[in-house]
Amino acid sequence: MIDFMRNMLAMIELELRRLRHDRTELYTRAVQPILWIAIYGPIMSGVKAIPTGGIPYTDYITPGVLIQSTTFVSIFFGLIMVWERESGILKKLFVTPASKYSTVIGRSMSSGVRAIFQVLIIVPVALLIGVRFIPDIAYFISALLIIFFASGGFASISILVASFMKTRERFMGIGQAIIFPLFFASNALYPVKMMPPILQYFALFNPMSYVVDAVRGLMISGDLTDLPIDLLAIALFDAIMFVAASVSFKRIIE
Amino acid sequence: MEFAIDVENLTRVFEGKTRALDGVNLRIESGKIFALIGPNGAGKTTLMRILTTQIEPTSGEAHVLGLDVVKHGAEIRKLIGYIPQEMSVWTDISGYENLLIYAKIYDMASRERRRVINDALKDMGLIEFKDNLVRTYSGGMIRRLEIACAMLIKPQILFLDEPTIGLDPSARNAVWEKLVSFKSEYSSTVFFNTHYMDEADLYSDEIAIINRGKIVTMGTAEALKHCVGGEIIRLSMEGNSVSEDFLEKVRKLNVANEVVVNDLEVDIGVGDAETALPQVMEVLRTGHVSVKKISLTKPSLDDVFVKYAGTRLESIGTIREVKEVRDRIRR
Ligand SMILES: Nc1ncnc2c1ncn2[C@@H]1O[C@H](COP(=O)(O)OP(=O)(O)O)[C@@H](O)[C@H]1O
Ligand SMILES: [Mg+2]
Repeated sequence: MIDFMRNMLAMIELELRRLRHDRTELYTRAVQPILWIAIYGPIMSGVKAIPTGGIPYTDYITPGVLIQSTTFVSIFFGLIMVWERESGILKKLFVTPASKYSTVIGRSMSSGVRAIFQVLIIVPVALLIGVRFIPDIAYFISALLIIFFASGGFASISILVASFMKTRERFMGIGQAIIFPLFFASNALYPVKMMPPILQYFALFNPMSYVVDAVRGLMISGDLTDLPIDLLAIALFDAIMFVAASVSFKRIIE
Repeated sequence: MEFAIDVENLTRVFEGKTRALDGVNLRIESGKIFALIGPNGAGKTTLMRILTTQIEPTSGEAHVLGLDVVKHGAEIRKLIGYIPQEMSVWTDISGYENLLIYAKIYDMASRERRRVINDALKDMGLIEFKDNLVRTYSGGMIRRLEIACAMLIKPQILFLDEPTIGLDPSARNAVWEKLVSFKSEYSSTVFFNTHYMDEADLYSDEIAIINRGKIVTMGTAEALKHCVGGEIIRLSMEGNSVSEDFLEKVRKLNVANEVVVNDLEVDIGVGDAETALPQVMEVLRTGHVSVKKISLTKPSLDDVFVKYAGTRLESIGTIREVKEVRDRIRR
């Protein structure tokens, strides 16, 4: 267990050191969510067609847009795994005393590091645009932790997919194909109740909905009634994905 | 006596069809530099990946430092160093940081981390570049950084998969100079794969030749060359094919121990070239066969390879692989 934590921390430190050397990706990836908040949000709030429970529409979508962007980061983390497999990095990691599971899960969790930095770049911009966050640091930190842990699950999805891929080029398209269905069939931009029944059903199994709900409660609305269910769903999602990703490591290395 | 590596009847089949290893037997004494040579696809990497506990054998047994690779993988991994064929460092952090991450994975005490890492970097001649991003390193420097990384835990066995593939001759020499000093400092066993015969010849104590998943012969470079025996007369023929009739006559000569044809080149293994050459010339003359060039050589490891594997090593596409490795390092 100590070994496990140590290896995971080393993987997280690696990610921090990478970010210290090169942050351009964090900035370029922040552009898209900022456009959602700065342009799409204000325009759609003029329409007033979406029941948000009294929250300004831009504020309503901010958590969804944040989560979409951090999920992007995590999903493309699988890309790094494919590259590390093409090079000898994973082979060498698998010949250290660290367990293979801790390497795979540690790599997943370290995507959470990137996700948090992504949030820390977007939130100030959202503040400038006029989004009103709940001014409670404990709530904010809880939201960050939820994003951190959920990122690990999303990164595991991508590791799982990556284990089927031979090349990075093919992975790109698949990454997009995972994210957009998750995003549009979630409560990120509109309440689930507005969706056609079949999509509502899908949203029930969509981990992104639970993450958005939890983060929206903690950052914007203050409505925490569903938080326990959200946390349970996220924990379940992480556990399932970690197991699946760890099982697929056999395919990753062979 | 305890062997550093002991492999018995090892077989590995991929996807139910590719027999990458086919009944390999191998024993390596500790403290030796051992070279496994063979063409691409011979099974070198597969054997190394089994010995380093990355993949499991289909059948047979392998012991590293007396430990079974299937049952005691975790213990083995604490004692060995491994440098894969492909580049295995993170290029977007510095050389020092690469070693730091591994020092943490290996749970090195924080008091000594800095010193051990700096020593390893000094030994590999990288200390001035330690804070530069690895992306700016040359191929040879990257290899030396990987050796530094393997040195951190002073491994009892160091596994190297094609350590100098894709490097230019001076970088190759530098890498080997460092490897030899590493080995003498820690008296580790070194196991390396290569398809460069000259490297095996220069640096190894013992050599095994692998072809199509089978070890075809094993011994010191000297002994292997001695087995081939004598000298070689190489005829580079005129025209576009070698006449069967001529080959037949050459094979009948008493002095010809062995005849190997490779396109328009005919290698004739003889005991003593000075007495054999006139007889070969006579066959050439009576058969009206014209030759572009005649050369005499002592046997090299290449010839050993030809003898046991039936083909010449270099002719089996290595250029593509070298290029791939280069591309990888550039990226
Ligand atoms: N992961 C794998 N899946 C399927 N076939 C493989 C795999 N690894 C190696 N092989 C096959 O096994 C044979 C031996 O490969 P390898 O051990 O890499 O040879 P070498 O290192 O000597 O070039 C080749 O035919 C190769 O295609
Ligand atoms: Mg190989």
